[in-house]
Amino acid sequence: MPRDTFADLPDEALLVLYANGDPDAARLLAHRLVPRLVGYAARMLSDRSEAEDIAQEAMLRLWKLAPEWRQGEAKVSTWVYRVAGNLCTDRLRARRRRSVSALDDVAEPESGAQPAVAGLIEADRMAALDAALAALPERQREAVVLRHIEGLSNPEIAEILQIGVEAVESLTARGKRALATALSGQRAALGYEEAD
Amino acid sequence: MDDLEALFAEAKSGAMQPSQGLMARVIADAEALQPRPVPLAGPHARSGPQARGGFLAGLAALFGGAGALAGVGSAAVAGLVIGLVQPSAVESMSGMLASTSTTIEQVELIPDVSALLAGE
Repeated sequence: MPRDTFADLPDEALLVLYANGDPDAARLLAHRLVPRLVGYAARMLSDRSEAEDIAQEAMLRLWKLAPEWRQGEAKVSTWVYRVAGNLCTDRLRARRRRSVSALDDVAEPESGAQPAVAGLIEADRMAALDAALAALPERQREAVVLRHIEGLSNPEIAEILQIGVEAVESLTARGKRALATALSGQRAALGYEEAD
Repeated sequence: MDDLEALFAEAKSGAMQPSQGLMARVIADAEALQPRPVPLAGPHARSGPQARGGFLAGLAALFGGAGALAGVGSAAVAGLVIGLVQPSAVESMSGMLASTSTTIEQVELIPDVSALLAGE
């Protein structure tokens, strides 16, 4: 199939073409999915390097699954987002375990919303957003990033997080409120109003 | 909240681009794991020794493997032999089924043991 006709194909069709040995399908699928996965994982982990590892691992699992992919059961993008989300959760848990053991040695205050935002005086807007996101509970962060930055619909997010649509709405609403509160003291630093 | 929406919009528009190294690694993974394409037999491939092998292999695959194909083949040959040789038991049974005048009492289904059953 000529490559220019691939652009109109859905992800699922590209995955089938890949499984059938088409050399161009994987390249196009990777260009569609990898940037989204990197963005999502980077917002979840606040770490670009780890985000790239997550994106590579999620794509690796997709390539492995390709021959057994059953069409109509899930969207490819939803599936890789779910894998990436689970991988991010694993990494965040590992971080927490490490930080707990570090806290045993060094008496530092437990990280929370305020300390994460407090050190952002010189940060730019995206860094402020990332820091505020990092202070959210994991599920809220996932829902807010997927809804408001990745632009997915609530039903898609529900499928990724494997919860109901109402629960997604609740998570995003609570997440947004928490973000607004965390960033409210940063308006001047964010450039949205002049400092008094 | 408006500030937050503006931040979201900014984050959305400034989508992160993956590094070239990551894209190269992902493509390399894909190539390494890609199933090998199964060549479809074209019209010109139907002659010659390779084509015959391909046909048999395809037939075997259709029946669920070479073992299943061998079983089906054996059953077919056995059926042909029985039809051609016509052993007497088969002959009497087929004669009964084909004939309109023969009654069930006239057919000895187990001719060799009838004497034993009669106590002779």
